[in-house]
Amino acid sequence: MMKLFKGRNHASNTALAPYSIWAFLFIIVPMVFIAYFAFTDNNFQFTTENISRFFTTVSNIRNEDGSITEIHTYLVILRRSLKLAIISTVVCLFIGYPLAYRIARANKKSQKMMMTLIMIPMWMNFLIRTYAWMTILQDAGILNNIFTKLGMSSVRIIGTEGAVILGMVYDYLPYMVLPIYSIMVKMDHSLIEAAHDLGCSSLSVLKRIIFPLSLPGVLSGITMVLIPSISTFYISQKLGNGKIFLIGDAIEGQYVANNLHFAAAMAFVLMVILLVVMALVKYFTNRYVYGGEE
Amino acid sequence: MKKIIELKHITKSFDEEVVLDDISLDIHDNEFITLLGPSGCGKTTTLRIIGGFEHPDCGDVIFMGDRINDEPPHKRNVNTVFQKYALFPHLNVFENVAFPLREKKVPKNEIKQKVEEMLSLVMLNNFANRRVTSLSGGQQQRVAIARALINKPKVLLLDEPLGALDLKLRKDMQVELKKIQKSTGITFVFVTHDQEEALSMSDTIVVMSEGKIQQIGTPTDIYNEPVNAFVADFIGESNILDGVMLEDYAVKFAGHIFECLDKGFNKNEPVDVVIRPEDVSIIPVHEAKLCGKVTSVTFLGVHYEIIVDICGFKWMIQTTEFVAEGEEIGIDLHPDDIHIMKKSKYSGMFGDYSTYSEEAYELANPGGEVEE
Amino acid sequence: MKKIISNLLTGLVYVFLFAPIVVLLVFSFNESKSLSVFSEPSLYWYKELLKDRNTLEALRNTLVLASSATVISTIIGTAAAWGIVRVKSKVYKATINTVTDIPLTNPDIITGISLMLMFVFVGSFFGARNSLNFWTMLIAHVTFCLPYVILQVLPKLRQMDKALPEAAMDLGCTPLRAFLKVELPEMLPGIITGAIMAFTLSLDDFVISYFTSGTGFQTLPIRIYSMTKKTVTPKMYALATIIFFITLALLLISNMIDAKSDEEEEHIKKKKLFGGKTHEKN
Repeated sequence: MMKLFKGRNHASNTALAPYSIWAFLFIIVPMVFIAYFAFTDNNFQFTTENISRFFTTVSNIRNEDGSITEIHTYLVILRRSLKLAIISTVVCLFIGYPLAYRIARANKKSQKMMMTLIMIPMWMNFLIRTYAWMTILQDAGILNNIFTKLGMSSVRIIGTEGAVILGMVYDYLPYMVLPIYSIMVKMDHSLIEAAHDLGCSSLSVLKRIIFPLSLPGVLSGITMVLIPSISTFYISQKLGNGKIFLIGDAIEGQYVANNLHFAAAMAFVLMVILLVVMALVKYFTNRYVYGGEE
Repeated sequence: MKKIIELKHITKSFDEEVVLDDISLDIHDNEFITLLGPSGCGKTTTLRIIGGFEHPDCGDVIFMGDRINDEPPHKRNVNTVFQKYALFPHLNVFENVAFPLREKKVPKNEIKQKVEEMLSLVMLNNFANRRVTSLSGGQQQRVAIARALINKPKVLLLDEPLGALDLKLRKDMQVELKKIQKSTGITFVFVTHDQEEALSMSDTIVVMSEGKIQQIGTPTDIYNEPVNAFVADFIGESNILDGVMLEDYAVKFAGHIFECLDKGFNKNEPVDVVIRPEDVSIIPVHEAKLCGKVTSVTFLGVHYEIIVDICGFKWMIQTTEFVAEGEEIGIDLHPDDIHIMKKSKYSGMFGDYSTYSEEAYELANPGGEVEE
Repeated sequence: MKKIISNLLTGLVYVFLFAPIVVLLVFSFNESKSLSVFSEPSLYWYKELLKDRNTLEALRNTLVLASSATVISTIIGTAAAWGIVRVKSKVYKATINTVTDIPLTNPDIITGISLMLMFVFVGSFFGARNSLNFWTMLIAHVTFCLPYVILQVLPKLRQMDKALPEAAMDLGCTPLRAFLKVELPEMLPGIITGAIMAFTLSLDDFVISYFTSGTGFQTLPIRIYSMTKKTVTPKMYALATIIFFITLALLLISNMIDAKSDEEEEHIKKKKLFGGKTHEKN
């Protein structure tokens, strides 16, 4: 424990003070306001109405055979958001992991090149990128133009869940590749040699050494893809053509309609769900990744 | 000799943990003094108090007669060579060495002349324009010394400066540091945990442990007349046995009475008996008072290091003759090979060669406290 | 064979990543209004863009906002990083680190909504009708830029030998001079990359801006959003292309700075590996 002399300890607190105040006022207090709005009505009287509205609102949908089914509107939306986000995350993992592995094993120059290429799309405004996908995929879009030129029938993609998943995977794939790559590139090569030395085949080295060691990167990749996927609203608006309504759309819709208390209630529920997910991820990280007692 | 720095009853603790416990020490002009001890003994903190990077909780730091407790580092006429050198990576060799002069706004031509002088002292004349990050460890070390000496401080503090160098380079640098100290006449306060380094370089050694000074003396004094079991064990190798001082010049240990050169103890006072491994002679069993079975033999080039089990106590003996493992041998001790020390809190903690380290001892004897 | 397949698949992923970008770049030069049928190359939409007052106004707004947010977040963030490395109290340090993580892990929509709710509440408390304006957006942008600045500067401070400022003081510097002459140069690469990151993030942010912007102050991403609500012309693509190349240039600059300091580190590492073994002849 080397400590700088007293004057500097004082200085460190002074240097940290503006940020501490800022973080308190604009990170912590706003969080409190979500809870405050979620549990109050328009006159700022306490109520659980907003939260219960989220869980109890029902609406009728007409099935194909003309019968009518009653559903819990927001729960269905929430379930759909979770489903699409999880599918996108899994797809990202299945594409991102081998890709990160492939990049990490390339030589230094190509590594840099390949990683830069992964990052570059992130610097194009995401609204426009997503919109560009729409022009590619829509009914009279670029893809279908090519299909018809080749004599194939055109396909309807926009407005399906598949299109929304494609948009999410496209937008968030770099977030999966990045953390996995950075952990793989730092991996001590002698560990892999040690495993070979102890009789592992290449496949079992991958299974028993590389994958367990890369788990922290995988987990941070998963959270980095899952969180924006759950909460997006632009992708679903454009690629879902407004038919695939997600929790983000619901929050945005209530904001536009100036129902701030209900918007806050939904944000609150989303926040709680994410906190639980994060806590689980953290628990599994500690449990399975950093094995052994301390 | 003139006193340059006096530490008077210095006490320092970090977070309730006492790091220095009533340290008093005089440092003289033109002296090469070494603070020696294991990690956590407080030697670096002592150095940092002299440098002005820590403030003692109580006690005084006197510099040439003035109390300097509250002087900030930049006002002290003391400079430091840091453990990892702390060279400024954004400046080249010349600018690193010139740094203190630029701070004092010394004229340019004078800076150039002084820096060149300093660089030639450390034999880096041709390195002035090199980036410090492109230098080897030894070269960085030299830059750090040149930089610290350019202000012509009264005292140079060196915090384990040779720790990062390999063995041969270390030896060269030891010789060179000593040479620089002699030629500049600056007092060097050197911190190390390496006893060999301390013995070979210092005029005075200060052995520290657990925030206390155990012994101050010349290298030969410390080696030949350790004051307690800690010092005896830390400096060189020692067999330390429980003994009883029967009367002047007679001590009983290992079940026998031996003649020795020590006196002035009370009658039947329990004492620690130190016997250096190189002082033990091997003799045939039938001629010996003490005999035992050789449990291990290690060839170390100049000599063999053997461990002998004598009545359950493991002795270390250094000998040039080969003995086989398992052989029964006798040992002989001359009166001047036996050194008697008063009992201290370190008694019984060191001096048996069942294991070399405490950690290995604990692993070999699970459950129990370290005991003899 | 295995290698060919793996290269093929990797190539496919890159095609996927760049498909919309290529489409966008190409169609920004389309003569006609269509975004899916290319007729003839022309710069028509770029000229149109230069005539579009609202968009240019939004561009100006974005640059003003991003520059202000960058300056503020870089100053506060750098000071904070310097303090975090030195602060004694473990509880304080842990709290600061946890709070810094919140904007990074929270979805943008939550950050946006939470700030908006606070601004609306405080605004209505003072009787303001429309409490969202340039200043609320600035606060929001500084808030989400700060963690990135801190995370860029912190490692530079952690890598720095703690003895460096001490050495400077030992050699005659006052604490302030030691900071300016030794610590600041060490932190500088981190500060610059942090500032560039803050600038590009602010430039590109839509979600948080969307919730914290009032009617009077429109940034480019918000302008783009409202444009995509209606039928889009290649004019928007032209705009995107221009922004894309500006951000790309900034990214390359920050990469170059990073590469340079990486190179130095590599160098030091190599020295540490081999330097110890080189025997010095005196």
